[in-house]
Amino acid sequence: MKPTFPGLKELLLPRRPNRGSADIAAIGARALFQAPESAIAKQHESLVDFLRHVGLFEDLARRDLARVARIVHEREYSDGEYICEHGRPGAALFVVRRGVVEVVKPGTGGQDIPVALLEPPASFEESAALGTGVIRWFSIRARGPVSLLALGKSDLDTLMLSFPTLANKVLTRLAGIMAARLQMLIDAEIQRESEAVDGGKP
Amino acid sequence: MTTSASSKRAGVVIKSVVTFAAVLLAAYFVWGLRHFIVPAFVGGLLAYICRPVVARLERRRIPRGLAVGLLLLTFGVVTLVGLNSVRAAIPSEVAALELRVRALYALNHRYQALMGLDASWNRGNALYRLTHRDLDSLMDRVSDLLALTPDERALFVASRERQTEPAAATRSSRLLDYDRANVHVLEMRARLSGRGAPATTTAGASTSSSAPRPPTNSDPGALGDILSTWVIAPLIFLFLLWDSGTLKRGLLRAVPNRLFEPALAVLDDVDEAFGKYVRGIFLECCSLGLTVLVFLTLVGVPLRWAIAIGIFTAASNVIPYMGFFAALLSGLAYALLAEEIHPVIPLVTAESFAIWVVAAVALAELLKNVVYEPFVLGGAVELHPLVVVTAVVGGATLFGAAGMFLAIPTVTVVRVLVASSARHLKAYGLV
Repeated sequence: MKPTFPGLKELLLPRRPNRGSADIAAIGARALFQAPESAIAKQHESLVDFLRHVGLFEDLARRDLARVARIVHEREYSDGEYICEHGRPGAALFVVRRGVVEVVKPGTGGQDIPVALLEPPASFEESAALGTGVIRWFSIRARGPVSLLALGKSDLDTLMLSFPTLANKVLTRLAGIMAARLQMLIDAEIQRESEAVDGGKP
Repeated sequence: MTTSASSKRAGVVIKSVVTFAAVLLAAYFVWGLRHFIVPAFVGGLLAYICRPVVARLERRRIPRGLAVGLLLLTFGVVTLVGLNSVRAAIPSEVAALELRVRALYALNHRYQALMGLDASWNRGNALYRLTHRDLDSLMDRVSDLLALTPDERALFVASRERQTEPAAATRSSRLLDYDRANVHVLEMRARLSGRGAPATTTAGASTSSSAPRPPTNSDPGALGDILSTWVIAPLIFLFLLWDSGTLKRGLLRAVPNRLFEPALAVLDDVDEAFGKYVRGIFLECCSLGLTVLVFLTLVGVPLRWAIAIGIFTAASNVIPYMGFFAALLSGLAYALLAEEIHPVIPLVTAESFAIWVVAAVALAELLKNVVYEPFVLGGAVELHPLVVVTAVVGGATLFGAAGMFLAIPTVTVVRVLVASSARHLKAYGLV
């Protein structure tokens, strides 16, 4: 029996015609890095104002956002520069503040397969901020000049020590985002398998 | 191809030269600022220890600035009280003379009893025959340090003669007896060793005969230098406690993008290791100081002196192996001078007091090694004893007392820095 995927999945994983095999393989990855619909880049706004739009921090009061703004690291990347690389451990969570980054996956021929484009205020590498030591299976590189915010595990630890309520809110959002992405990944994997079965039929 | 290889080689050479020059410059600065190292380190150490306290206060909705201010105020009050106590404990000139007379008398008395010496100090027991060649010269040196010069004796005798109250007069009479006994022993020892009569026997002689005392470090200029050097400690303390991540962000901003994540991971490792070390050593020092205090009180050292010895032991314990020696020397010094003891343990007697002091200090050291180090310090400092000794001796040779104090934290940080850098650079494919 063919599975059905109602709701959010339909929105996040629309069916596309003429999909290649590499593209099918990248469906799961795309699901993981899908930027929210409200991802609108707001240029020239203050860091605190920007953080309000980031899903991870959206429950926080302005005073708490200011505290987060004091501990995040601002990084600038030039066009084509890798932000993180496949096969390496993650040490920080990143939030796109300005510009566009590209998620790529190494293909069989050594060529990078584009998986997704992320715009502000998308975040990636959430698990790294929890210190899970997970090795990345994708790379992310800048498309044009990019400005990112980074948050390491020790930064979250600092928050936990001084402002446990604030840290609790962030961690709850973090867990929610990761759970949602895991669900999407599972859904995407099921869909990929079903499409592969469908494709094998005469 | 050849041009590319040679330009690459030139790049490597330039990088090596620049790195070498940077290391030399850093070493030059460290050497130039060596007087500020200990105050800066003490300020940083206190800030590190107090960070969790500030975090706790922030958690109770006290603003960071106010929390730091409260801590600074507490330290100020503690320092003032400590300085006042030290000032009160410093004996006056006459009291210092009394102390020296008592110390020399007690030393001679105990040496004579231990070595079984006769009244002429000529013949002793087997232990004396075995060790007198070495111990006699040591006793001579200590006696020279404690013996009063003619001027000092005149001052001492005059101060004793002024005492008219019965209790004070009795005490003065006893001290004068001690002094006469000291002079007698010094004369005998001088005759035996073939040395000239010591200056102390010629009371009333001209001042020129007395050996000049080395200049003390108490002139206002030296004090001003010390204060101006140590003023950096509260500044560092304030700056580090006030900082809520700016310093770390500033450091990481200077790091190239490809090194950002490894640098973040290495900084975290160093921070964790150093934090563990600082908090571990602080707890260990406090535990050892408290143990020495309790044990010495039990064997009969008055609480006031036990507290002083406990604090001295705790402070010395920052330097490896020094805590034990500090406790032993100060405890034995007290045992030597003690005239009356009030032990909690009934077995302790005046004769066996020194042995009980040694036992108390040894037990405290044993507790430190068996309980405090494994459970309090944990694996924060896993250094081979040879590395510890080499680091302490090397630090002392290069920077004196400051080097001894800083040797182990420096080695701990460098070790973690090197190991963590190697691990993360490898993990990120950078080496």
